[in-house]
Amino acid sequence: MVIQKQEAFLDKLAATLGRERRTEGVERPIWSVSPQLEVYQGFDQDDLVDVLEKQCAIIHTDFRRTDKAGLANVLKEVIIGYEGKSIIVAKDPRNKDYGLDGFYEKLQQVGREVHEWDATKGKENQVFAERADIGINFSDMTLAESATITLFNNKDNGRSISLLPRTWIAIIPKSTLVPRMTQVAKHIHEATQQGHAVSSCVSFISGPSNSADIEMNLIVGVHGPIKVTYIVVD
Amino acid sequence: MKVSLFITCMCDIFASNVGKDTVEILERVGCEVDFPEQQTCCGQPAYNSGYLEESKKAMKQMMKAFKDSEYVVGPSGSCVGMLREYPKIFAGDPKWEEEANKLAAKTFEITQFLVDVMGVVDVGSSFTGKITYHPSCHMTRVLGVKEAPLKLLENVKGVELIKLPIGEDCCGFGGTFAVKSPVISGEMVMEKSRHVTETGAEYLVGGDMACLMNIGGRMTREGKNIKVAHITEILNQH
Amino acid sequence: MSLKISSGSFENRVQRGVENDFMRQAVSSAQGRFKSGRLNAAAELGNWEDWRTLGEEIRTHTLENIDYYLQQLSEQVFKRGGHVFFAETAEEANEYIKDVIKKKNGKKVVKSKSMVTEEIGLNKALQEAGVEVVETDLGEWILQLDDDVPSHIVTPALHKNKEQIRETFAEKKGYDKSDKPEELALFAREQLRKDFLSADIGITGCNFAIAESGAVTLVTNEGNARLVTSLPDTQITVMGMERIVPTWEEMEVLVSLLTRAAVGQKLTSYITAITGTRLEGEVDGPEEYHLVVVDNGRSKILGTEFQSALHCIRCAACINVCPVYRHVGGHAYGSIYPGPIGAVITPLLDGYEDHKELPYASTLCAACTEACPVKIPLHELLIRHRQIIVEENKTSKIEKLAMKGFAKWASTPAAYKISAKMARPALKPWTKDETIKNGPGPMKGWTDIRDFPAPSRQGFRDWFKDRDKGGDA
Repeated sequence: MVIQKQEAFLDKLAATLGRERRTEGVERPIWSVSPQLEVYQGFDQDDLVDVLEKQCAIIHTDFRRTDKAGLANVLKEVIIGYEGKSIIVAKDPRNKDYGLDGFYEKLQQVGREVHEWDATKGKENQVFAERADIGINFSDMTLAESATITLFNNKDNGRSISLLPRTWIAIIPKSTLVPRMTQVAKHIHEATQQGHAVSSCVSFISGPSNSADIEMNLIVGVHGPIKVTYIVVD
Repeated sequence: MKVSLFITCMCDIFASNVGKDTVEILERVGCEVDFPEQQTCCGQPAYNSGYLEESKKAMKQMMKAFKDSEYVVGPSGSCVGMLREYPKIFAGDPKWEEEANKLAAKTFEITQFLVDVMGVVDVGSSFTGKITYHPSCHMTRVLGVKEAPLKLLENVKGVELIKLPIGEDCCGFGGTFAVKSPVISGEMVMEKSRHVTETGAEYLVGGDMACLMNIGGRMTREGKNIKVAHITEILNQH
Repeated sequence: MSLKISSGSFENRVQRGVENDFMRQAVSSAQGRFKSGRLNAAAELGNWEDWRTLGEEIRTHTLENIDYYLQQLSEQVFKRGGHVFFAETAEEANEYIKDVIKKKNGKKVVKSKSMVTEEIGLNKALQEAGVEVVETDLGEWILQLDDDVPSHIVTPALHKNKEQIRETFAEKKGYDKSDKPEELALFAREQLRKDFLSADIGITGCNFAIAESGAVTLVTNEGNARLVTSLPDTQITVMGMERIVPTWEEMEVLVSLLTRAAVGQKLTSYITAITGTRLEGEVDGPEEYHLVVVDNGRSKILGTEFQSALHCIRCAACINVCPVYRHVGGHAYGSIYPGPIGAVITPLLDGYEDHKELPYASTLCAACTEACPVKIPLHELLIRHRQIIVEENKTSKIEKLAMKGFAKWASTPAAYKISAKMARPALKPWTKDETIKNGPGPMKGWTDIRDFPAPSRQGFRDWFKDRDKGGDA
């Protein structure tokens, strides 16, 4: 890796600002206002689920709510609704925690293809995702305000799962709900300060892909998934 | 309360009745009105065209003219807005900075003065007719006066106030813009005229004579039978 | 330099814009939707002014310490396996990128929408070097197929209607279906998916780079930026040097402002923050990563009264409220940055010579200033431009003379009073029924479109004096 032409470039900026280069000691000031902290302050997890549900309607996302015991059933319904013959899922310990490993096995037994992301298989994962009908992820943090799933993508949870298949299902453990992006930003900022490396890709996903590029008509489903369902698990 | 009228050059030359109405309204609410004879123009035509030095000559004249006034009140959001910008323009000028601050602090647009300083929302006027109100750009966005004119109009007996669609949009006047960019300005005023017509109002009312001249001039050119009135003309009907 | 998109005169461009009915209709309805979206999103928050204040404070602090934050960013990107190149000019940036592609033996580039790459003319440079470049944002792809340029910084193909788009698809790509937007978009999805899968290089712009961790944030709705950053093995981010924030916390605030101000969304469908190369064991993401930081004239703005123009987060809120833009459209500005922000930054980046009309393409109505989510005083900056044009002696002789006359007139009460009295008789030859329909000289521009009133019959001053003497009140 190389860094090129940095010194001359930054020296020039300092000079145009009429001062010496600043290479250390710059601190963020205390901002005079912080409206972002006030949003949904004091809301409990159930209040946040309500916010999430309302926002889902706005962003063309189907909303389901169930508990651990009912998850497999709801998931099955959504998969049938999406005519999902091939499914790609992240390699996520929560599959087991939520009793989905058995469910996926059963799906395979009835002739559906289920591919669990496998880092050792390299690009094969992408190839499968590209032709998959459905991608399934667990949400790492969920923003109620904007109905946004946050994924800290990693070697077991490829970016493709939520991107290449025609449809996408996000499973949202209720405990992952936070008011808005502010809480995720704080979490990552603090982790960074403690020296933890941030995920190579943090994806904030709010519903299906869309575009308004043709005469300002909203078209749902452009490059990413065309249909999306969120399942909140109590 | 002693008030000096800032007539604005536009009303001084083209709409002396607006000056008269402003004086009479102020007197009705108990003000003693004088008229500093040495006043001219706020300097905006030159300032907005980028001629800073030229505009400052006008501004200094205005500061001199209103030096001894207690309050300065004018029938224009735009011209009053200009006077309120003087502190920025003369910041750091040892001779004029203080004068600029003083003038800006004591200058008010007429509806702003009535509502915010005098605390009056009903000047006891009555006027029968359907009117629509154009909230001019500098009045609302430079001076920040949005509510006062509407409060006063709502309290005029007999008036039916109809909302102007996309009222906040500029009418296309823009000072020298109207002459320098006649094509764009023309399209803008035509659109404004369409919106005024859509309301079905008999009168278009506003707080800035220049905008009214622009929109009114277009509407008469189109042969439309909608009259134009400065807000003081309505408020002085009783 | 590809900031400039037209060689015609400003007047001709305005005329073309005004005569383009479809474009005007499209722009007008788009403005309506954008505006109500923004206002609703702001109203929902309830404290929009606080958000704007915070946005302004963040941008001010960041720009004042831009050298510090850029260095921090560069170090973090380096730590995460990325290369960083600081480009002073468009040419330097393009040369570097060409070189990277050549070394990788790259044949096909997929791009997500980026204004800075438009600005530096990257596509042209790459195509001349024999590289295939595919724009993957739906609007940009439409423009690329039709060899057209953007007219809006958020919805670049705003000026095109669906019939035109259908024709372009049919002619260039063999499309044979209807002009339904859904069908057109589905076709684009199918076509572009092939490009994504076969490209070896991905290029994106950057909404906000995060100094503390070296992440680059991309804000999109279509998902193309995710594909561009996930599939090709080599990835290049091109960022205007000012598109940086100190930490994730400021990124979050500015993204909230951007999506609300731009389209009235709480967040767009995808906010993607990518950092360096893919990590060990990861399949998606690039194995080689380059960050190109572009100056291209921006440093000239630093430390001047125009510094706040660099606070811009490219939301287009000012464009969406501008009545001048509504009537003339984006192309009339002759710059890839149209509207009020374009009128402010284009002359700064590219000089007054080719863009001296832009600071005058505004009535100074201040709608832009009011709409700006980071409080850039746009209309005041336009006045400042006009002052510089005057200082540099670039206005017409007639105008200079008129303004000198104005100054004399407005600073000499006696002269002012006489002229006020004389106005009525002087204009009498053109006056009929208290109206002037064909004014002389400079009045012509006015009276071509609307009537001009005759000066008042009885002057205010005489009336006021008379009543002092106890006359008619």
